Amino acid sequence: MQDAYLGIDIGSISTKGVIIDNNNRILASTYIWTEGDPMGAVKKLLRILQEQLDEDNYQVVASGTTGSARKLIGSMISATIVKNEITAHAVGTTTLYPDVRTILEIGGQDSKIILVENGIAVDYAMNTLCAAGTGAFLSSQSKRLGVEVEEFGQIALKSEHPTQIAARCTVFAESDLVHKIQMGHTKKDIIAGLCHAVANNYLNNVGKGKKIISPIVFQGGVSKNVGVVAAFKEALGCDIIVDENGHLMGALGIAILAGRSANHKLFDFSVEDMTFKTREINCGQCPNNCEIICIYRDGQLIDSWGNRCDKGSLRS
Amino acid sequence: MEIKNNKNIHSIYAENQLTIGLPNAMLYKRYETLWENFFMALGANIIVSEPTNKEIIHSGTEAAIDETCLSAKIYLGHVHSLIRKCDYILVPRISNWALNRHMCSRFKSQYDLVCNIFRGSGQKFISYDLDEARNLTEEKAFLNMGLELGFPKKLIKEAYKKAKKQETADWKYRLKSQEQLYKSEGLKVIIAAHSYVIEDEYFGKPVTDYLKELDVIPLRADITDRKEALKQSLKISKTLVWEFNREILGSLHMHREHVDGIILISAFPCGPDSMVNDIIARKFSELPVLNLVLDSQSGTAGMETRLESFVDILKFKKGIL
Repeated sequence: MQDAYLGIDIGSISTKGVIIDNNNRILASTYIWTEGDPMGAVKKLLRILQEQLDEDNYQVVASGTTGSARKLIGSMISATIVKNEITAHAVGTTTLYPDVRTILEIGGQDSKIILVENGIAVDYAMNTLCAAGTGAFLSSQSKRLGVEVEEFGQIALKSEHPTQIAARCTVFAESDLVHKIQMGHTKKDIIAGLCHAVANNYLNNVGKGKKIISPIVFQGGVSKNVGVVAAFKEALGCDIIVDENGHLMGALGIAILAGRSANHKLFDFSVEDMTFKTREINCGQCPNNCEIICIYRDGQLIDSWGNRCDKGSLRS
Repeated sequence: MEIKNNKNIHSIYAENQLTIGLPNAMLYKRYETLWENFFMALGANIIVSEPTNKEIIHSGTEAAIDETCLSAKIYLGHVHSLIRKCDYILVPRISNWALNRHMCSRFKSQYDLVCNIFRGSGQKFISYDLDEARNLTEEKAFLNMGLELGFPKKLIKEAYKKAKKQETADWKYRLKSQEQLYKSEGLKVIIAAHSYVIEDEYFGKPVTDYLKELDVIPLRADITDRKEALKQSLKISKTLVWEFNREILGSLHMHREHVDGIILISAFPCGPDSMVNDIIARKFSELPVLNLVLDSQSGTAGMETRLESFVDILKFKKGIL
């Protein structure tokens, strides 16, 4: 029986999972939509991973969660490690691309840049408060234009004169977009303009003041958009690597970290069949009135968080 | 609400004892010792608003215009919570210590703003004008304030002296314990933020608490030898005029070799910080810099993700992860 490690990356839009062996070889992997139900998505994900895994020869001895629902899912599956997505992405990407110097990432609600030296992350930046220029921005604009966001890239490549669109702020971008449509700009030029706006906004915002050195790996959901990839190539004047498995980097990274950590515990796939419920309660014991989230497994409280002080702490 | 009853029965003003309200935000974090000791020495009672909580933020946001910074909104919430609970609420009007040592205009306008916003409340406010470029020193300003409250000149002067002495002693002690921290073993991160941001119970404090949970020693750029820091700040920028930002900038320069990274924390939208944070990112490029902008979102997830990953990178660099 050989050891295997499970990594799950639960993002706002999609949920990704991998199982790897001791040599970081992927034994099972999948990618599904979160659809606003991270716990349901993870159950589905685990079922798919279990089917792919050769359970006669491998046993999962450590598990990790990352992404914005890492805490919730970490609690649900009793993960041995819970880590932020930036660290997980850095570890995953540098394992597959040891020479990488810059990692660009644009996801559903946030964007980041990670700078790497000699295989280790040395600096990073993340978008501040707003989600301008992320996947969420592109999908909302695609709705306005009546075009599927998946088709954006191909349409953008057909444009010869991308329209200038102010993308500093989603609200302004939208009014600029409407204005340009009414002025008679073609759809393909506007779509190409949006792709350029995403790249430029990223470079002026998250990438501001950072030395972007090649090789550059671009990942996150938006990296699937060839229009944005082309815009980055043009703006940076060099090639951009987009890995076909780029979306799995976070899950891979957290699986590697789970394996590396000393904390190992045999993973039990039976969580697929348990019922999990969350409940929100308002503490009400002081003016902060914290919103406390309680998680129940088969009716029993297993974890809670959200309280700012001990007054609101609930124990299982 | 913390009420500090003055048991100083020797005071001849005990019968008509005044109660002064101190909003627990913005400059209170810097002048706590000076203000409390001054009013106590005059024989007044003191009432300090509660640490920032959701209710305070809510009432402050309602009172403020939209464009103002989070700290100023919180401040108004603190003022609101003290209304009609004291004779006077102290709202100083601090402008400058010299031509190139200025405060942000929020502080210059604070007294007039507060008076106007709460004009129908029946609450009285007291201020002191500090404007050294026009020869209004702190001592003069306190004297004027004391006279306005009806205290005799001699008592005011003594009270100010006493309070100033206590302030100096307190600051020396804080400075010493801060300097000790630079010598301790472990991952050290210096936080560049205004004291009213970093010490705010609701916004800034969770950052330092979380850093401690991650086994990091959080240092504070604003707790520093202020005179020296002002001098050192000229090495980074000759033209910067904001006093607090100059202190922080100089302090960062003084300690740049003794820390592993810098965390910038600003209350959104802070004018001076937006400019100075950019200077810091450029002039301290040898250190990893994390820029945290705090708004009134109650979720801590974004903050924790950023802090945890920043600390991970520092650990990667040191080879301890």
